This record gives sequence, structure tokens and C-alpha cells, in this order.
Amino acid sequence: MWFYVFVSPWLVGFLVFLLGPMIASLYLSLTEWDTFTAPTWVGLQNYVTLLRDDPVFWKALWNTFYYAAISVPLGLALGLWLANLLNKQVRGQRAFRTLIYLPTLVPLVATAMIFKMVLAPSGPLNQLLGFVGISGPAWLLDSDWVKPALIVLSVWGAGGATVLLLAAMRGIPRELYEAAEVDGAGPIRQFWSITVPQLTPIIFFNLVMGLIGAFQIFSQVYILTKPVGGPNNSSQMMVPLLFNEAFSFYHMGYASAISWLLFAVILVFTLLAFRTTRKWVFYETEVG
Amino acid sequence: MAIGSTHVTRRGFLGFTAAAAGVITLTACGADSDTGSKGSGGPLVMTVWGGEPDRKAYQQRIDLLVKKYPDLSVKLQLIPSDGYAQKVQTMIAGGSGPDIMEVAENVNVYSSKNQLLPLDELATKAGLDLEKRFGSIGKLYSYQDKVYAIPDRSGAMIVYYDKAAFEKAGLGTPGPDWDWAKIQGAFQQLTVPGKTWGYAGAGWWAQWWSFVYQNGGTIIDPSSGKPTVTSDPVVEALQWAGDLTFKSKVVPTKEQYADMGADIGGDQAFAGGKVAVNTTGFWAISGLKDSKVDWDIAPLWRGKDQAVTAFGSGLSISRTSKNPEGAFKAIEFLTSAEAQKVIIDTGQDVPANIEVQKSDAFLKPSWMTKPVDMTAFAKSSEFVYRAPFIPEWNEMQKAFDDGLADFWLGKQDAKSALTAIQSQLETIVKPAG
Repeated sequence: MWFYVFVSPWLVGFLVFLLGPMIASLYLSLTEWDTFTAPTWVGLQNYVTLLRDDPVFWKALWNTFYYAAISVPLGLALGLWLANLLNKQVRGQRAFRTLIYLPTLVPLVATAMIFKMVLAPSGPLNQLLGFVGISGPAWLLDSDWVKPALIVLSVWGAGGATVLLLAAMRGIPRELYEAAEVDGAGPIRQFWSITVPQLTPIIFFNLVMGLIGAFQIFSQVYILTKPVGGPNNSSQMMVPLLFNEAFSFYHMGYASAISWLLFAVILVFTLLAFRTTRKWVFYETEVG
Repeated sequence: MAIGSTHVTRRGFLGFTAAAAGVITLTACGADSDTGSKGSGGPLVMTVWGGEPDRKAYQQRIDLLVKKYPDLSVKLQLIPSDGYAQKVQTMIAGGSGPDIMEVAENVNVYSSKNQLLPLDELATKAGLDLEKRFGSIGKLYSYQDKVYAIPDRSGAMIVYYDKAAFEKAGLGTPGPDWDWAKIQGAFQQLTVPGKTWGYAGAGWWAQWWSFVYQNGGTIIDPSSGKPTVTSDPVVEALQWAGDLTFKSKVVPTKEQYADMGADIGGDQAFAGGKVAVNTTGFWAISGLKDSKVDWDIAPLWRGKDQAVTAFGSGLSISRTSKNPEGAFKAIEFLTSAEAQKVIIDTGQDVPANIEVQKSDAFLKPSWMTKPVDMTAFAKSSEFVYRAPFIPEWNEMQKAFDDGLADFWLGKQDAKSALTAIQSQLETIVKPAG
């Protein structure tokens, strides 16, 4: 009895704010609904149109894949590298740690506004590139470079992963390194044979979170690109597309269908990630 | 396992939730529709978009209204322009839509979905002659021969020009009798490569559509309701607008604009003396009050014909209003000469009421610091073209934004860009029938 009382806030929240809307959106995805008049049942028509006749959907899907496929591994590699650096005993170690994590604390909207200036055709980034003799692209204005620009922005937040990796790194037993040293392993060999395997659970955690986050990219696109997803949909992603369909074009049913397809995509990738864990993620408890 | 599989399932669900947040919000709102308590005795809710100056102007007019009709009370809801459509959409879907609602080009998004009250009957009953009060734009906000909004603010796009620069170059005063060749010649004379430019550009629909209609083209054929953007006059007009940037280089490129600073557009560039001519609406005046540029305004130049885009907004009554008679009484007063005078006195916009447009209050506004040819607005209103306010307005604009992105970067010609847009528009626009 008390169990249900205590669990009820969560239960009610789940039913009202999660399960209910999910069922509703599943129903809506099978209808055509302009949000004003009653929905009309269209069966699977929305899904058929999306998958067969909507070039923008495929473009957005491809863009989202592109973004996730580069930004997630890049963020992980960078996080790992930074964590490793921060783990060294150097002067000002604490200050460096703070500096690396600081960008993660800046609200995304503020960061995006700053990047709008940084990424201007003659902005600081291109000036920097100019010093080394590269004439930088027009980033956000160029359909070939707007996605890399968004990836650059995503790397800005690598500090979040860094902190988790660093914490895990500190938890690796010193004996392992000492033993390796006695056996004659150099620092590089130690990094690959001890640090990385010991960190795999955290890397895996960051991978899954990163994937989910990357597939749901919205604010950056919404703030940085004008029109949203431009130029010519070359930075259109799944969630901004969904938002447009629902709130600019009044195709709520269609937008719901997109959200379910996005759900399916994320589910598949997360499951794939879990499937591969056996091959590379190392859990100490399993060795026993 | 440190991270269990139960964990990921929940994450997955959460992931989906964020994606469908919008849907959720709406469904949650939809659940309590019809329970919104808004008896006919309560205040009328009026939604408008804009910033603080707009709030001031609207509130002053409402105060006048209440003074005249003490039985009416109006609650003003100002919504930032960016989120206006979404906010109103949510309000309506949630069963608590506004009584009086400001609408503009997207009026038929609502009227076609049966969200607005046709106003013809109410107007007749109130003895309001739309054409007498508002001139050619009286029935601008119509759908299938019914009027859905009463014009409230209105004003053609006008030419802002750097008077000193024009005089120095011996170019005289630009006016509605200048043709494309003549104005282009002026742009060229006023351009100093890499430093200042003759014209701010025509990348906005309101600008290049004006040239399309000047050239005898149409975006949507008024009789068949079909898109017609691949016709020669349209292609030619757009190509002309694009060539100003990439051939004669009298308009800054997007890169050059981006380098002037974040979010700098034609209005700011003109105020900063970077471009000699800018075409936009009344609102740019307020940004020019402190400008060092010696500027004036004029009606838009001409092509084969005269044509210019008009901006503005109208007031409509939502279908769910509990007190449509009261709402119409309010609109009738708000668009009368007495209340419309406030629009110009506060420097907010051009009032739609013709009587006010011709009055001294408008021609010599008290706040204006220098003599400006305010007759440009009345003159322009004679050749405003009828823009296609179709129900799919937002999607049409998106199609143009997307399809012309490469064109405005100089990577594509007008013909091929418009051909792609035409086929997209054909799937979007459903001919009225």
C-alpha cells in the first residue's frame, strides 16, 4: 500500500506525461491533423509518404547520420585525450580542469550565439586559419560546410565526457601500472593496454549518451542556421524537421510519424551499440 | 553489468520523449479543450506580436476604446514575433484561443482551417465600408470571397535612399518613374568596391516578388491557383535581382554581410552608411533616427509595370470567441481614424485607415526629426499588387528559402533554381476549388 503511495508521483508522471502522449502521438501519426480541426484517419499514409516521397526527410536523416557519425567519435576521442592530459601531474592542473569543463556550463543558446560570430566568413576562426595559409570556407552559409560547422560546435562540449573519463581514470588501481612498468611497458603501451580497457564502460556510456544526443540535435540548428536547416536543407536534422512540420506547416500527424521513425532509428543504433559490448567493453565483475 | 539494459530502454523512451515534446504539449492541452472558462462577460483577449513599442501603441488604442465603450474590456497579450504563430496555435488547440487576433500574410492558414469568423456580415451590420476606409487593400485578407480580417496596419515597401550620396553623384531623386536600367546605373555609380554598395539587395520575398510583378509575372496564377514561377517574367526578374549581387556587384554578398557583424542585414547596413539604397517597410524609420546618413524615402522604382509589396496586418475574430459582436465593435473602433492616429503618433507603423494616411498627423509626425517625404506611402498604395496569401503560405516561403539558397550564393542560375521550386510548389499548393 505505502509502496504505491510513494511511487505514485512517478507513476502519475509517467502515465500523464509519457505513456499517454506516446499513445496519442502514435495515433496521431496515423492521421492527418492540422491541430485546429479534427484529425482524419489516413492509416500508414504518413509513413509511406515519408519513406517514399519526401526527399527532405531522407536528406534530414542523412544529415543527422553524418552529424552523429562524426561528432560522437570525435567527441569521445577528444574527451579521452583531454582526460589523459588532465590526469598528468602538472602545475595548474586544477585550473586546467576547470577551463576544460567550463564550456559545458555555458548555456547552449549562448554558445550558439557566440559561434555565429566565430564562424563568420571573416570571423576569428577563419582568421586563425588564415595565419596558417588556409582560406576558410563561409561555414554556416555554405551547404558543404554547415554540417562540419555544427560538428565543431559539438566538440566545444567535449568537457562533459572528459570529466567522467577523468574520474574513471583516477579510479584505475595503481598496481596495474606498477606491474606493467616492472614488465617494461612504456607510457603508450600502458595507455592502450591498461587505461583504455579499464575505461571502456565509461566510454560505452558516453557513446550511448552521445548517440542519443546527436540524433536529437535541435537548438544548434535552430539558432545557427537561417532559415532553420539551411542553406537548402543541408543542415536540416530530424528534430528541427519535425518541429517545422508540426509548428510551421501544421502537419501534426506527419510530424508525429517523423518522431516515431526517429525513435526507431535511435532504438536500432542503441541496440547495435549494446550488441557490440561483449567484444570491447570490459567489466571487472565479469572476470571475477 | 555497470549499465544495465533496463537503463537503455528508459533512455530510449526519454529520447523519444524529447523528440515528440511538441506533440506532447499539444495533446496535453487538447485534453482540456472546451473547459476554458471565458464567459461573454469576461474581457476580450487580443493577441498581437512585436516588442515594447508595439505594446505601447496597442494599449493606448485599447485605452481609447474602453473610454468610449466602457462596457468592453480588452486584455492585450503581446507575444514576441518569433513565437507568435506557435503560441496562438497552442492557445487555439488548447481551447482558449484569443477573441481578437492579429494576422498577416498567413491569415489563410487559419481561415482555411475554419478558425476565423467571416466578417462580411458583421461589417455590413456595423455599416463599415471596407473600401472606403482602407482603399484598395480593404479586402486584402480574404479567402474564397469572404473577408477574414480587417486591415489595421499597412504600408507599402518603400525605397530608403542616401540623399547626400545621390546629390553628390548628381543622380537626382529616385522615384516611381525610374526603371530598372536607371536605378541599376545609380547603384553602380554609388558602389565603391569592397567599401560601400549601391543597394542592400532583394533576397527577401517582399523585394524580389515586387520585381516579378513589375515584370508582368505572378507567383501563383490568380485564376487557376497554380504556381507559375518558371515563366519568363519571373525568371528574368529573379535573375536581375541576383545579377545585382554577382554580376554588377552593387549588392553585398552574404559573406560580406556576415562580415559586417552578427545578424546585420540591409536595414542596419543602410543606417551605417554601408549601402546607399534599401527597400523595406516603415519600421526601418525608427532605426534611422540616430543615423548619421542623410536619408529620405521614395516609392519603389518600376519595371514594365508598377508594382510593390505591401506589408501590414489585420485584426480577425477567432471562431471560438464567446463575444464576436463585442470583438467586432472593438475592431471597428480600433481601425477608425480616432484610434488609428495613435499608430503614427507613437511611430509604430503606417495606419491602414486612408483618412489618417492623408492627415497631417501622418505626413508630418511630431517625432520626426527631419523632413521626410511621407507621401511615399500613399503614392505607393496605388500600385500595390495582390500577393498570394495562400493557406500553405509558410510552406511556400520555406520552399523559396530552400530552393534559392544556392542562387543567392551565386552558385545557381534563376532558371534552374525556379524549376526545382516549381515542382516542389506543385506538391505543396493545392489549387483552391
